[in-house]
Amino acid sequence: MTKEARGHAGFFVATAAALLLGGCMSLPQTEALRATPPTGLPPRVELERVPFFQQDDFLCGPATLAMVLTAAGKPSSVESLTPLVYLPGRHGSLQAEMMGATRRAGLVAYPLAPHMEALMRELAAGRPAIVLLNLSFRLAPVWHYAVVVGYDQDIGKFIVRSGRKPRDEWSYAFLEFLWKDSGYWALLALPPGELPATAREAEFAAAVAALEQAGGRREARESYRALLGRWPQNLIGLFGLGNVEYTLGDLAAAESAFRRATAAHPQSGPAWNNLAHVLAQRGRLAEAEAAARKAIELGGPTLAEANKTLESILARRPGGAATSR
Amino acid sequence: MIGLPFQVHAGLIGTDQVVTAEQALAAREMVNSVVSRAEVASQLQALGLSPESARDRVAALTDSEVAKLAGQIQSMPAGADGTGPVLLILIGVLIWWLVKK
Repeated sequence: MTKEARGHAGFFVATAAALLLGGCMSLPQTEALRATPPTGLPPRVELERVPFFQQDDFLCGPATLAMVLTAAGKPSSVESLTPLVYLPGRHGSLQAEMMGATRRAGLVAYPLAPHMEALMRELAAGRPAIVLLNLSFRLAPVWHYAVVVGYDQDIGKFIVRSGRKPRDEWSYAFLEFLWKDSGYWALLALPPGELPATAREAEFAAAVAALEQAGGRREARESYRALLGRWPQNLIGLFGLGNVEYTLGDLAAAESAFRRATAAHPQSGPAWNNLAHVLAQRGRLAEAEAAARKAIELGGPTLAEANKTLESILARRPGGAATSR
Repeated sequence: MIGLPFQVHAGLIGTDQVVTAEQALAAREMVNSVVSRAEVASQLQALGLSPESARDRVAALTDSEVAKLAGQIQSMPAGADGTGPVLLILIGVLIWWLVKK
């Protein structure tokens, strides 16, 4: 190649590279970590007990889930998880389904705050995380899940299990480069009753409710109690606890939870409605009626449900059906 | 009202509705919960799942997750490839080759 041609080629390559890499060469989290190392963390952590499951093509979803679920106390395998999370027509696994499969194993699927520091704090607390990575360009992504099992602040690296490698070390910069395009998405699988080290109230409450909704009622009960231990007034915690106690047959506990909910959130129509329902079940029809009327007064999207609750209470009260509304 | 499939006990409002309200999500998501779940289940079936499997997998998702998936399953990220940063390496090799010439 002539010098001139080489110059042109070099310029072309540099431009192409810059365009292809989509300008995502800024790595703000790495810079922040280097500028201000996190306080109160051990210098290095490695969760050696997290097992490695090798993935075959396309099965990084089941493989990473198997690692993290097994580490959380629910022994799993790639074979057992593939039917829960792998989507043949997409040759891969969707993030929401990774969370759904975690719930089906009786664990809380908690979306981590999108920061490397949060990741480090959870690792220090003994929890591995599944991260979603783009191995290619933003315009033509190749998505991949890996499990982060440790870090080393002295050398500035994370320790990961990825693909066919049970142990790889990635610099902060390399992890961030791969992790950025997913919005720094990371997933924790928590045993019942446990709070993440970096728990955020709203996200954790929603995660426990999601476990309840997926059918993990006993497990959700434990996690609601943990949520309320830390945030005693949380509406989703009090309301959800009431619902699971009811479903599990403890009406006294359900009533107690709904009472706490209405005391802390007197404007919550659903809380009054469900309190009314439980009181009626317990035969305390006068109190039930009062609570149901309160729910109706508050209106909102669940008004129709509240009306039905009142109707069913009035139908049971001796001579009560004629009472004006 | 809105019949939620997981509202096992008539009269009790499900927790997911309160979550939806707390997150101030669009009313559309609450109202169309049943429809969206059936929609997403059939979209999953079209992507290779049995009807039972599709239903079970949708049942493990929140209303909000279902609403986000509906009609978007083809474009949402699906983690798959574990064979290493293949394309990055290929591009690196290409650049190296061009510069070496």
